[in-house]
Amino acid sequence: MTPTAALSHAFLGEAVPLVGGTVPAPPKEIRLTFTEAIEPSFSGIDLTTGDGGAIATGPAVVDPGNDRQLVLALPTLAPGRYRVRWHVVSVDTHRTEGEYSFTVGP
Amino acid sequence: MFAANSHLGARLAIATALTILPTAGTFAHGFAGSRFFPATIVIDDPFVADELSLPTISNQKTETDPSVVQTDISGELSKRITSEFGLSIGYGWTHLDQAGPPHNPNGFQNLEITPKYQFLLNGPHEAVASVGVITEVGNTGARRVGALPFATYSPTFYFGKGAGDLPEALNWARPFALTGTIGYSITSSKKTTSPVIDPDTGMVSLAVDHVSSTINYGFAVEYSNFYLRANVHDFGLPEWVNRLTPLVEFNFVTPVTDRYGEKTVGTINPGIIWSGQSMQFGIEAIIPTTKASGKNIGIIAQLHFYLDDIFPNTIGRPLLGY
Repeated sequence: MTPTAALSHAFLGEAVPLVGGTVPAPPKEIRLTFTEAIEPSFSGIDLTTGDGGAIATGPAVVDPGNDRQLVLALPTLAPGRYRVRWHVVSVDTHRTEGEYSFTVGP
Repeated sequence: MFAANSHLGARLAIATALTILPTAGTFAHGFAGSRFFPATIVIDDPFVADELSLPTISNQKTETDPSVVQTDISGELSKRITSEFGLSIGYGWTHLDQAGPPHNPNGFQNLEITPKYQFLLNGPHEAVASVGVITEVGNTGARRVGALPFATYSPTFYFGKGAGDLPEALNWARPFALTGTIGYSITSSKKTTSPVIDPDTGMVSLAVDHVSSTINYGFAVEYSNFYLRANVHDFGLPEWVNRLTPLVEFNFVTPVTDRYGEKTVGTINPGIIWSGQSMQFGIEAIIPTTKASGKNIGIIAQLHFYLDDIFPNTIGRPLLGY
């Protein structure tokens, strides 16, 4: 019964844009920082408009310099409200997910 | 939780795994979609999980005249057999500070074993439900601290529901969650007998105490700062504040009949839980709610470990499958 290194569920630690926040200009990316390293193959971000309309993006990628950060490059977003849905699997296989909104100001 | 059940009972008498995962990852302890439910201290959790509560410590003055101060120290280990079925085993020790007789008795409460099956987990609606049978094994505890000499079986329904599916207009309420249990306790015998010595004559007689079947019910209302920060609005609060969950637990035991003069006993337990990456700490007040529950406020605290996070590749995973 030997404990492994500190591996556990990956919680969302920081989000850019901020959870529930308003940004004055369209962000170039969504960058989510988790409390644990995450598995790229099983992690992703979906972005929709506030009323659920799909927004075409590429796949989210794990930052090569920080295996706790998941990054989604964005097209130019019009002013309005957007919804971020994410899911990740930490390197010890625990899955977590979440969603939040942010607003792009006029 | 075992400690509270005993308390009321005494008073009522990695990568490898990834390659085999069909759905890429497991949620494990306390998760339903975006919702993380911390383990509540007084009422049982609705999840099947690998976790250890050790210790749970409570102290309360349960009687005033003559004075009785009860201290309980207990532990509970929960282990998943499959991802939906698990077993819990709990044991507790009680000390009664009283003039007596008996004077200041100590002893264990009965061993408690609970098989539990989780039949519902709905992520989008942050809902979970389970059924189990809390089994108190008779004659494994000390009569002098209130342990019954026979078994008690309590078929129990457990549920949890987060408010995250409320519309965004009610964003302020989305961090709320409710968990609860309702069970029916049946004893394998309906009465106990114990010798009583008349202090004046010295004669010994048998006292008969009747034990009623009971309905046991409780719920917890909790507000997750963590959910608020991750899913609703990040106010930039310090991380330790974001990991707090203020909550109020309610726990009641009602006899099915009042034939033997037994009354509903219950407590309201306001408190707070701090949840870390692999453990949590919680502390609550114990406030009696009925006349039969006593008059004095007590305290209960618990350390709780998430074994699936501490030992993800050994005892922290189901024995069968994943």
